[in-house]
Amino acid sequence: MWSKPLPLTRFFILICAFGFSATLFAHGVDDNTKQFLLANQGVSIIPYMYIGAKHMVTGYDHLLFLVGVIFFLYRSKDIMVYVTLFTIGHSLTLMFGVLYDIAMNPYLIDAIIGFSIIYKGFDNLGGFKRVLGFQPNTKAAVMIFGLFHGFGLATKIQEFEIPKEGLFENLIAFNVGVELGQFSALILVLIALSFWRRHPSFLRFSTATNALLMSSGVMLVGFQLTGFFTTV
Amino acid sequence: MTQLEQTGSTQHELEHSVQSTQTLVKASAFAGLFGALILTVAILPAEYNIDPTGIGASLGLTALANAAPLEPTKQTVTGQAGEFQKHSTEITVPAGKGLEYKLNMLKGETILYSWNSSGGELFFDFHGEPKGDKTGYFESYTVSTSDTIRGSLTAPFDGSHGWYWENKGSSPITVSLKIAGNYEIIGIK
Repeated sequence: MWSKPLPLTRFFILICAFGFSATLFAHGVDDNTKQFLLANQGVSIIPYMYIGAKHMVTGYDHLLFLVGVIFFLYRSKDIMVYVTLFTIGHSLTLMFGVLYDIAMNPYLIDAIIGFSIIYKGFDNLGGFKRVLGFQPNTKAAVMIFGLFHGFGLATKIQEFEIPKEGLFENLIAFNVGVELGQFSALILVLIALSFWRRHPSFLRFSTATNALLMSSGVMLVGFQLTGFFTTV
Repeated sequence: MTQLEQTGSTQHELEHSVQSTQTLVKASAFAGLFGALILTVAILPAEYNIDPTGIGASLGLTALANAAPLEPTKQTVTGQAGEFQKHSTEITVPAGKGLEYKLNMLKGETILYSWNSSGGELFFDFHGEPKGDKTGYFESYTVSTSDTIRGSLTAPFDGSHGWYWENKGSSPITVSLKIAGNYEIIGIK
């Protein structure tokens, strides 16, 4: 179904174009957002939603993992199932982590998120089946890594001592924004993938692409672990 | 496609293939080596100024890591703008209007001030706005209605500090303001 351009596609491309920013960050939030979060009091739904969406659209660690997850998913039903599992996973820990103020080292969490990309790239190559002799449950993996991605999102919120007043509402708004951002980024990735899948180069380069995915995971893990060992 | 072995498993509906051990080793070795290479020559030098190979420095990447921590110290070194000085000035607040008179002060600089208004009381908000802030954030030190005030302020942050006066009456009110301390006048806004 992805080979036919959907009527809504143009609309989503527009949304995505608005959501995209030239600056990318895998860790932390930019200065203006920081100023806003520090100065903000009470409930502000739309700004928190925007921050959540922006974080997701510009957070390449989450996006790389999602690219890995949907790389070999052809049916829209499968995509829905896996993305839903990922969403449930990260929403749970995002809400739980912030509301119960669970202290987590952002570097370690982001290193695990980097590892999730390596895992998925290796999994896409059939690596686990080859090495272990069986395929570890892919749905469980997406869900479990989703939990870690959510803790990653939670640490971003925890970096600011956001007033307790309106925390729950703001958090929900941030979470909704994260899903909106994920949705718009996903549409873009799916459009690109569905075009690519029609060419023979998709299968020819799928191994190389997943190897590249793994190497970007290696970079993220190295980057975050170095951060952990140099700043603690 | 022919050399690929389909999984065809029903438990997980992934239509992807299991690569040969040789391909897996190659792909994993490439991922590890390429990732480590970019990490050591580019990411670590640019982000943390960790440059074991020296390549990061020759590419000019370590400058990125060094640039960030310098900024705050630069502000305090160049921030000698507010020398000790004294001023007295008169500001007329038109009827039914409000205006601001601001001073530039660095964090820790202190002023002594006094003002009194002739012709009636004024609502005022003595406040500061952090330098570079775009969110409209400000911190109020005193908000009241009066015709005479004296006091001192030690700036809690770099930025513009001063008074907003609002004349709720029907005739103009003149404020005579006296300031002494370390500051730089911005004036009426």
